[in-house]
Amino acid sequence: MSVRVIVRTFSELCITVGAVIVLFVVYVLFWTGVRADRAMDDQIAALHDQWARQTPRAAPSTSAGAGAAAAATPYRDGRPFAVMYIPRLGFTWNKPVLEDTATGTLEKGLGHYKGTARLGQTGNFSVAGHRRTYGDPFKDFPELRRGDAVVLTDGTTWFTYRIDEGPYKTVPSDVEVIDPVPRKSGYTRPGRYLTLTTCDPEWGHSHRLIVWAHLDSTQPVEAGEPRALRR
Amino acid sequence: MYGWIWRHLPGNAWVKALISIMLVVAVVYTLFQYVFPWAEPLLPFNDVTVDNQ
Repeated sequence: MSVRVIVRTFSELCITVGAVIVLFVVYVLFWTGVRADRAMDDQIAALHDQWARQTPRAAPSTSAGAGAAAAATPYRDGRPFAVMYIPRLGFTWNKPVLEDTATGTLEKGLGHYKGTARLGQTGNFSVAGHRRTYGDPFKDFPELRRGDAVVLTDGTTWFTYRIDEGPYKTVPSDVEVIDPVPRKSGYTRPGRYLTLTTCDPEWGHSHRLIVWAHLDSTQPVEAGEPRALRR
Repeated sequence: MYGWIWRHLPGNAWVKALISIMLVVAVVYTLFQYVFPWAEPLLPFNDVTVDNQ
């Protein structure tokens, strides 16, 4: 085998590896977003379908009754159960919230930490989301400020949470931030709290950014969108 | 490597070019559909939780 053949084959291999790396960057930056946007739209559409089917049954009961009925259905792993709106992240920003924080779940929406409180219940309703890749749901996480609204709906009720504290930077092992009463948030008594977590720095994994909020108001979906979502 | 593939493809230059493009598309599809989804979680972008559940 001549030197020429060896050199040529080596060069071709290098070019191939380079091309694969470029393709991988395209995949991470662009294609995961395309896939995630499609998956999130599907999840939200599935939720709306499900809610549309439930409405006839929920309608005769009071909103409290509907809430109790919803509380009886446990969240199913990897399945959506709510839609989140954060006006600060964009007026059209809305993402499905799915149960559990498995890798596959977070590719389709935001993930609710298993074992933390249910939406609107006493305790800490904790949700994780991607900062980058898979649609960049929490790209502008550091923009969140005290007083910002985080609105969620489970199909029967609108829940408006108000941010009290954050973004707070911590380490990945700091599991106390999703405690029922997260100590570092400044909350001292049990209440209806919400915690959002994402990674920091943007493309890294050395830290986590945390935001805490408390439940400010609720209203049945029949009453229309909450004030925080109106223009 | 690519010269070897080119020499072993059947037909004239046009047929070879067509088959080459199909091969490239097949490789890119395999990468996007199977290889990259497997490799991506190995990177740190997926670590957004505080307890590594």
